[in-house]
Amino acid sequence: MSSFTKSAQQWATFARSWYLIDARMQPPGKIATMCAIRLQGKHKPIYHALSDVGDHVVVMNSRHIAFSGNKWEQKMYSSHTQYPGGFKQVTATQLHLKDPKAIVKLAVYGMLPRNLSRRTMMQRLHLFPEDDLPEDILLNLTEELPQPREIPRRLNEYSQEEREAFPTLWTP
Amino acid sequence: MVFLTLSCWIRNRGPDRYWKVQEVLSNARHFRGRKNRCYSLAVRAVRRAFVYATKARKIKRRNMRTLWISRIAAASREHGMKYPALMHNLVKSSVEVNRRVLSDLAITEPKSFLSLAKLARAGQQEGFGAALGDGKEPPGVFSRIVTLQ
Repeated sequence: MSSFTKSAQQWATFARSWYLIDARMQPPGKIATMCAIRLQGKHKPIYHALSDVGDHVVVMNSRHIAFSGNKWEQKMYSSHTQYPGGFKQVTATQLHLKDPKAIVKLAVYGMLPRNLSRRTMMQRLHLFPEDDLPEDILLNLTEELPQPREIPRRLNEYSQEEREAFPTLWTP
Repeated sequence: MVFLTLSCWIRNRGPDRYWKVQEVLSNARHFRGRKNRCYSLAVRAVRRAFVYATKARKIKRRNMRTLWISRIAAASREHGMKYPALMHNLVKSSVEVNRRVLSDLAITEPKSFLSLAKLARAGQQEGFGAALGDGKEPPGVFSRIVTLQ
């Protein structure tokens, strides 16, 4: 790579990549941190806040994210319509049913730095509720990132041999 | 009385007010609003700007260091290590490379940075082995009693 011309090297260094993240059965917070790091460009050694080195991130299956604990019932998203008496509070479930992309979008929005580049970075985040992505985005993708959380398997997804091989405390 | 006619009472005020005003306004030309045109507003704005510039000389050093640290963290995560682990193991291996040089290496000499990351990774694994293992020295290491002066 050092044998290329300087202009080609610079083009390769500052090119904007497209990352794909599958959010099925993943906690939205962990997805959002991965997105925020790559949208800002903090995963690159050439990072600078003013240099606009962020990449595009495509998140698919945002309808199938998985909160841990009781957050689906207890986490509240608040907003105000600016009219008197217009304070609205919805639970995570209600918000997710109304708009399946909103939870991940709000999580990423809160993790980006509070400056004027935040809106540009949000424009580079592409959210899809299911895994059917449009053609032009599929053509742009360069890398798929590994999922942050290992998806646990249900009991009926284990084969009979694995079930027998699992250590038991006592035999009845 | 010295001034006997009216014309001799007229005082000659300073001839160079224009240049004194331009001295201040030239520092304010890139400001927003009337501060870049009107002298009274510009004087206050220019004084604040100079105060900020004086204070910023110390803050610049702090900002540069945070920038180096975030760049080194990004590069070390590319190689599977985290920044605190990298720095601690480099210090333990008595590699006294400062953050400025490390961040420049990460940008322009990626292979050298990779070799430093591998050195730190080896030190980290040795530390894990010493902490979790059975207290025996790993084979091939003849002295671990090397400390920084």
